[in-house]
Amino acid sequence: MAEKSRITLLPLNQSFEVEKGSELHDVLFTYGVEFPCGGHARCRGCRIRIKEGILPITEPQKQILNDPEIKDGWRLACQGIVNDDLIIELDQWKSDVLSDDTNFQFTPMEGLGIAIDLGTTTLAAQLVDRNTGEVLAVETAINPQARFGGDIMTRIDTASRLKKQNKMKKLIRVQLYDMITDLFQSSKRSKENLKRVIIVGNTVMHNIFCELDVTPMGFHPFEPISNDLEIYSPTELKWDLDQDVIIEFLPGVGSFIGSDILVGAWVQNISESEELRVLVDLGTNGEIMVGSRKKILTASTAAGPAFEGAGISMGMRAATGAISTVTFKNNKIIPKILGSENPRGICGSGLVDAVSAYLDMGLIKADGRFLDGEYIIVLDPVKITQKDIRELQLAKGAIATGIRLLLQELNSSEDDVAEVYLSGAFGNYISKKSSRRIGLLNFPQKKITTAGNTALLGAKKALFNDQRSNNFYSIREKTEHLDLSMHPDFTDVFAELVNFPQKRN
Amino acid sequence: MEYLKKLHDAVLNGDPPTAISITEQALGENIDPHILINDYMIRAMDEVGARFERFEYFIPQLLMSAKAMKGAMGLIRPLLIGDGVGDNAICAITGTVKGDVHDIGKNLLGALLEGGGFRLVDLGTNVSPEQFIDAVKEHDAKLVCMSALLTTTMPGMKTTIDAFMDAGMRDDVIILVGGAPVTQHFADEIGADGYKDNASAGVVLAKELLGITKNN
Repeated sequence: MAEKSRITLLPLNQSFEVEKGSELHDVLFTYGVEFPCGGHARCRGCRIRIKEGILPITEPQKQILNDPEIKDGWRLACQGIVNDDLIIELDQWKSDVLSDDTNFQFTPMEGLGIAIDLGTTTLAAQLVDRNTGEVLAVETAINPQARFGGDIMTRIDTASRLKKQNKMKKLIRVQLYDMITDLFQSSKRSKENLKRVIIVGNTVMHNIFCELDVTPMGFHPFEPISNDLEIYSPTELKWDLDQDVIIEFLPGVGSFIGSDILVGAWVQNISESEELRVLVDLGTNGEIMVGSRKKILTASTAAGPAFEGAGISMGMRAATGAISTVTFKNNKIIPKILGSENPRGICGSGLVDAVSAYLDMGLIKADGRFLDGEYIIVLDPVKITQKDIRELQLAKGAIATGIRLLLQELNSSEDDVAEVYLSGAFGNYISKKSSRRIGLLNFPQKKITTAGNTALLGAKKALFNDQRSNNFYSIREKTEHLDLSMHPDFTDVFAELVNFPQKRN
Repeated sequence: MEYLKKLHDAVLNGDPPTAISITEQALGENIDPHILINDYMIRAMDEVGARFERFEYFIPQLLMSAKAMKGAMGLIRPLLIGDGVGDNAICAITGTVKGDVHDIGKNLLGALLEGGGFRLVDLGTNVSPEQFIDAVKEHDAKLVCMSALLTTTMPGMKTTIDAFMDAGMRDDVIILVGGAPVTQHFADEIGADGYKDNASAGVVLAKELLGITKNN
């Protein structure tokens, strides 16, 4: 029998045995640890701290971690091989997945339906009674492909160059079926009444699920082989469901713009609006749709992970100990910490709030420079550095530039826009006032609406629609994708919008 | 000559109209263009680079400084042709590798290389290994700087270095790599001569590897 080592995970205090020689990457992944760069020692996302036991340091880690950190026991989980009993402190956040409980219009239909939002990081599924519109059960999970990289480009690289696409496909198909099974278990409904499953997701998620080679998505012009509607029977997916059940992965527009954002535009009625509407999905990849009855333009923009707290010196997810909001009243900064009295770090919404307040106080200038000093203490020991401000500027500048260029292509400006919808998890938590103050959304606050998980809502709405004969497909035809990176004004507009606006109300 | 300090400041503060008008005035008074370049503009760009590295300057400031320098150089360059000095400057090739079209970081590096006295040939984006090799031959370049912003396009750097080896030209050039996903480890792995995580440090490294002493 192989020799074993005991691993204890803090703060969960879970303890278990693994075979000596096991890769820590595989072991920890099953406990929900994410590997943003795909486990290539290119980022600090999977940092762990060894409290007891020996985990040798490897050469690639020395590039990422500094000497005091290494001395303090910090390691990159992706590089570790287990050969000793270990007590490990996980530096990572628990990710909370956004579901949806928005009311929507529908024509009652027979049977049950399942709506699935297949996100790069998270998965959300709802079981819906098509007669009453009631949501009977909800399941959320981390995308099992996340062990192959957090962001979409690493995922493509792993699928294509490292030939893991087939493995990724199997993982996601199995995971979604597990979630479907759980939906029936928790709702105590019978699988036999299921009629339809609708899946939405970005183009890469679509291509992996639908067995379309993602290789072309890794290179300019980033166009998929196809992102059309794909229809499956349960047998084809090895899902143990009634053979009459129809499973559909809805089509996207082009490039990275998938059905998730397209159904979002659909539920916000952008294609029926007389006035211009904007839909922004804030994530590592910011996706933007701008348009009206006449025409819709869409683009994706690489905002980077700053909004999720990554790449920020004391950044973290919206988990216990995170400064999540900062208000500014009577010349005083009032930070709020999630579920604790001791601040550990700052999450995206807190960072946006804090910068907004410091702009109002004049401690940060419009060009992003601190008035003086190298950092600002938000709440000891949490501080914001000059580099953090630069990271935030890059992220918000990318989104604002995308919106501006799409509007420009429609011969319009921010003033012509009637409604702005902010979707996605980060969009749900960020303050409208602060996002305007930092120039992420250059619109009056009253025009901005937090729209929640519009992808899941759209998938749900699609459960009630006839295939191909509904206005979802007419939106798709009306929508055109714009390649921002090739736009001649990109650099100039970006150089303008990377700055913070002068004082505004 | 006191007013020439204004040329330094115009480049440092990113003020193209002033940079151009001072250069015009200086050239009108027959001041040696090399003095303008070496004693004022290169020094200003060195400071711009240093401020960028400390996060004091950001993309807009760097772009404006580069614009100011470019404006002044537009007046000076015609005077340098034929005197051998402009031609003697070491040629640097920049380009974003095949499949990738991101160019802001690469353009910042280009501006700092020019500011650092290099003769710059920018191949733009989506550059194939063959294009890099042909450009080195054509311009007798000693420095190649490759950029990639995506995990998926990064391997194009290795392909290009391999192509230089196959062509028997690897020892003729210093090859530097950069871009958000690139690390020192990756640079070592693919056999690049160096890597830096910002444009300013990249220029310092290039000069060091080429044996150019600082501050003329």
